[in-house]
Amino acid sequence: MKKLLTALCVLIGLTTYGQTTINPDTVCVNSVGEQYFVTNTAGSTYQWTITGGGGSLQTGQGTNSITVDWGGASGLFPNAVEVIETNASNCPGAPVLLDVFILELIGTTIGPFCPGDPTTPLVGTPAGGTWSGTGVVANSFQPSVGVGNYVLTYTMAGCSTTINVVVNNGPVTGPIQHY
Amino acid sequence: MKKLLTIILLFFTITTYSQCVSNQSFTLVPGGPYQPGDVVTVTYTLGNFTGININWIHAFQINLGVGWTNLTPITAPGNPIGSTGSWVWDLQNTFPGGFNFGPGWRFENAGNVDWGTSSTGPFTMSFQVTVNQTCTPDDLDISMEVFDDCVTGGWSNGNCCNDPAFQIYNGTVQIVIPTTANINHY
Repeated sequence: MKKLLTALCVLIGLTTYGQTTINPDTVCVNSVGEQYFVTNTAGSTYQWTITGGGGSLQTGQGTNSITVDWGGASGLFPNAVEVIETNASNCPGAPVLLDVFILELIGTTIGPFCPGDPTTPLVGTPAGGTWSGTGVVANSFQPSVGVGNYVLTYTMAGCSTTINVVVNNGPVTGPIQHY
Repeated sequence: MKKLLTIILLFFTITTYSQCVSNQSFTLVPGGPYQPGDVVTVTYTLGNFTGININWIHAFQINLGVGWTNLTPITAPGNPIGSTGSWVWDLQNTFPGGFNFGPGWRFENAGNVDWGTSSTGPFTMSFQVTVNQTCTPDDLDISMEVFDDCVTGGWSNGNCCNDPAFQIYNGTVQIVIPTTANINHY
């Protein structure tokens, strides 16, 4: 029983505080409500500063946990998140910094297709992501899926973007007649 | 031979009593080390004062490091079998001869303010000090300096005008600087 309780506590601890963010942190362009935190110390206050990337602090200033809305500019923003802890004796600690990479995904438009068209590779920028959706096999689109409008999604590092692909009807030719 | 022994004993006596103060002791409650906001009660006792050449004890000066604040007297020294007068608490006082003193207690002799008291002790006194709010390891030294009236200017025939300060505490503020872990992102 004691071992079970210990395992549960460890699991809860890992779930709540065990996350470790790799520097730089990656967020999606125009993402909102991104939560950042440091381990809380009783009696301490926390001064957060957000710089670059069109970021703005939304909630939690003074506490150990904040939310941030990021802007539309993509790229790497060094020291974009900074926090300074001040303890109960009013002594500040050293600034703790986090770089932020704002990721913007772009999917290259393809089509329109006819059902008999060959399989077409899907291209996303930056490369390395994954395409998904109806008619997608191994990051390529197969028009043979049939006539219709398809929304294909390109996903990478928790971000995504979509493109619309159209497969039109081909001409319907009647049988050859002989006068 | 007897005369020689007398001379040797006299020399030995003068050497031993080159200081007027002896048997000094103290208590600190609570004991160190100290953090910002700590309030410390200091009790100091001078067991004996030997006033060579009618040199009288005149003042107890408290020397504090910059890490202390809010010095408050609790009990003044006694004056056993001493001159008429009383011990007065002063943060700063300039004696008639120009000597600057303070903070601490000085004896106001009812007959001549320029003199101390003929008492030889013991003298026990207590005071309270508080550790400043600080983020740097400031000096917390506490020492007691005893001044005779040859120092304060009332008597020119003193023979122990350079009693060294008695160290009560030697340390620095124990500061706690927060160490913040890395920033995490849910």
